[in-house]
Amino acid sequence: MTASRSPRRAALAVAALVAALALSACGGSAAPSTPSTDPVSGGTLTFGRVASANDLDLHQQITANNAFAIDKVFEPLVAFDEQGEIGPWLADYEVSDDGLEYVFTLRDGLQFSDGSDVVPEDVVFSLNRHLELGGPLPLEAPIASIEASGDREVTIALSGPYTPFLSELASFSNGILPADFGGASEEEFFERPIGTGPFAVSEWDPNGDLVFVKNTHYWQEGKPYLDSLVYRFVADDTQLRQQLQAGQIDAIDTVPATNAAEIGATGGTVLSETPGWSTEQVFFNTQREEFADVHVRRAIAQALDRDGITEATTFGTAEVANALLPPTITYSADDSVEALEYDPEAARAELAESAYPDGFEVTLLIASGNAQRAQIAQIVQESLAKIGITVEIEQLDIAVFRERFFAYDFDFMLNSGQSDAPDPNGFITFQADPEGFSKSYWTHYTNERVTELMHEGRTTPAGAGREAIYGEIQQILADEVPYIPLFFPANLKATSEAVQGFAVLPNGSVRFQDVWLSEGA
Amino acid sequence: MVRRAAAAAGRALARVVPVVLGVVIAVFFLLRLVPGDPAAMILGERATPEALAALRAELGLDQPLWRQFSDFLWGVLTRFDTGDSLVSGVPTRELILAKAPISLGIVVFAVGLAVVIAVPLALAAALRKDGWADHVVRVLPAVFMGMPLFWIGLLLIIVFAVQLQWLPVGGVGSGPGEPLRSLVLPALAVALGLAPPLVRSLRAQLLEVLQSDFVTTLRAARIPERTIIWRHVVRGAALPALTLLSVNTAYLIGGTLVVEQVFGINGLGTLLFQSIGSRDFPVVQGIALACALLVVLVTGLAGAASAALDPRLRRAGSADPRRRAGAAR
Repeated sequence: MTASRSPRRAALAVAALVAALALSACGGSAAPSTPSTDPVSGGTLTFGRVASANDLDLHQQITANNAFAIDKVFEPLVAFDEQGEIGPWLADYEVSDDGLEYVFTLRDGLQFSDGSDVVPEDVVFSLNRHLELGGPLPLEAPIASIEASGDREVTIALSGPYTPFLSELASFSNGILPADFGGASEEEFFERPIGTGPFAVSEWDPNGDLVFVKNTHYWQEGKPYLDSLVYRFVADDTQLRQQLQAGQIDAIDTVPATNAAEIGATGGTVLSETPGWSTEQVFFNTQREEFADVHVRRAIAQALDRDGITEATTFGTAEVANALLPPTITYSADDSVEALEYDPEAARAELAESAYPDGFEVTLLIASGNAQRAQIAQIVQESLAKIGITVEIEQLDIAVFRERFFAYDFDFMLNSGQSDAPDPNGFITFQADPEGFSKSYWTHYTNERVTELMHEGRTTPAGAGREAIYGEIQQILADEVPYIPLFFPANLKATSEAVQGFAVLPNGSVRFQDVWLSEGA
Repeated sequence: MVRRAAAAAGRALARVVPVVLGVVIAVFFLLRLVPGDPAAMILGERATPEALAALRAELGLDQPLWRQFSDFLWGVLTRFDTGDSLVSGVPTRELILAKAPISLGIVVFAVGLAVVIAVPLALAAALRKDGWADHVVRVLPAVFMGMPLFWIGLLLIIVFAVQLQWLPVGGVGSGPGEPLRSLVLPALAVALGLAPPLVRSLRAQLLEVLQSDFVTTLRAARIPERTIIWRHVVRGAALPALTLLSVNTAYLIGGTLVVEQVFGINGLGTLLFQSIGSRDFPVVQGIALACALLVVLVTGLAGAASAALDPRLRRAGSADPRRRAGAAR
């Protein structure tokens, strides 16, 4: 084992050096280009993506391939910006002192893309449909009633306090559509949906490209600048990058971390690197007796060099994680939580305290087709070998991978947690609620104090009190490690130099109403 | 005459039906053996069990297997369709018809290119046996035969699209001539995989004919060498080459599907890969069925064409032109 120790360290050091060089090389282009002149209207932007949009029903869909097409057509009453700050969007709002009544006032002259006015009944219809359907991203707030209370007013009453309500409402799945689908059948409507968004669907192949045209009735004066926007389906990410570099497409949705430096350094292309809402993690199935033992989990956490893993596999594009919540999420405790640090000696000592002092054999489950995770898995395997834990890596295609962990049929796995909103409630609930359907993200981790705090967090008003709650939750999770947060990946996208105003939201979607093409494009 | 044609058609059908039925059954049950839930793929990781159950019911995946199979078979027989895509809800037949022209375009283009590449090389090699051209022709195909198709495709992209920028790196462009230009490299990649066996076989056939008694007789009769080669030798070698091409239809189709992925072309191959990944059963079954039918059709046509070209095959009552090699001796 000692023989393999130094090459590994050397490899990490080399990778760190490469990453550092790459970072300094593309430092100038890390931020999206800022317009140096006034925006110009017109033109078509072709955006390459690795998956097609195959369904535009905002209440039934959650996967990014569909969500980030849906949010071009439909918009919610409130929205978050690039920093995750929530503010008025289609409506301004007032909240009663007890936090139970929300009055939303729609913008003056707000219209759908077909030119019809947006009225309070449309809001009532849209939110009620979502409440009825539930869907994969349901409205969890205890909503008592949604009523049209004036020409431009909608009043939503809650049966109890629920602090994350506005955050929940800001999700794309609470977009506003015309009441009764504007007279169309449900099926017809979602083939050519009508909303208040900057773009409307013009041509759509559910297994291929999606063409949007500018919504001429859009409420933001002068926007969108583009005449049309094409979502070009290019299944292979190498091909995607090459088409951008050859000038065949103008922007691409995903850049693997390995290629980030290359994109930034190549003339004509600009890398967009922005903080996201996801956390890359090692998840333990605590139903397995080895991982039910907290000493085992703590030992593993101390055996893993998170800094090394992050540098070696993300090439300086990600931030090492100390806590569960990414810094872009409110009450992230990344800088205040004391996470278990890399210390092989302490790891061995911790394992000695467990029921398995001499180690054991386990299988690490990963999804195939993700080079980064395959790399992380190998580092985990080598690191754990040093404390006597033998790891077998099982790589499965994504469909089988999901089936296996949905059935709790795994020892431990690599996966990521992702938030849809800037509020910590969604992320924490999904990863730490043993009563929820994901049973603490299929780890089956149960801690009464965490559960209690989680319930408190939903009803405690924003402020220091709420911050303390989420801080405590994250500290408990860092001590008991049902999962090891490794790093916070950045949203990596790229454009040609002609693309200006490319604004990426923390959930990974792009605000194309702000995008314009400079001369010569 | 009519009766004979009907009998031939009957025999052809008798061969086709079991093959196609076998493919249909194998694909249906093999797919069901593979783990992975389509509903979970559609809804993603954050779908509630209720949402998953509702979607499974909507897609008919909660039905017993025999029921799913009988529905599927009924759909194939009555509507020529393997059902609606689980992911997009579009009928599989429509999806296939929409994507087929691009994939067939690559197939046809690749066959043309393979012939254009193979014939002159084989001729040059056969006419100067053991000369330098012959050595080159014997070594070069071995190089390409050892290379996987996706690798050839990537090399072509790097050289002709990225470095020289003569042709697009991928996709299918729009505008006059653009789609054709986009298909040059993918078709070339497939053709470079297909040409080597073609060159080898053609060279061997040409040599065989060149050394045969009747060529010696023709030469003795002072028929001009040019006439001998074009009218007798090439024609004599064309038939086995045609057979070889038809035998390679499966390779050709498979190669096209792979190459589409490398070149980012959204044709049947990409649809197939996508559908396998998302466990979109009806679409995978539909494409497999279409490919099986195409292979059966092409081999059948090649057999018929051989028979038409070579009267001896008709007399022998066999549509298998591979026997001709023996008959020629």
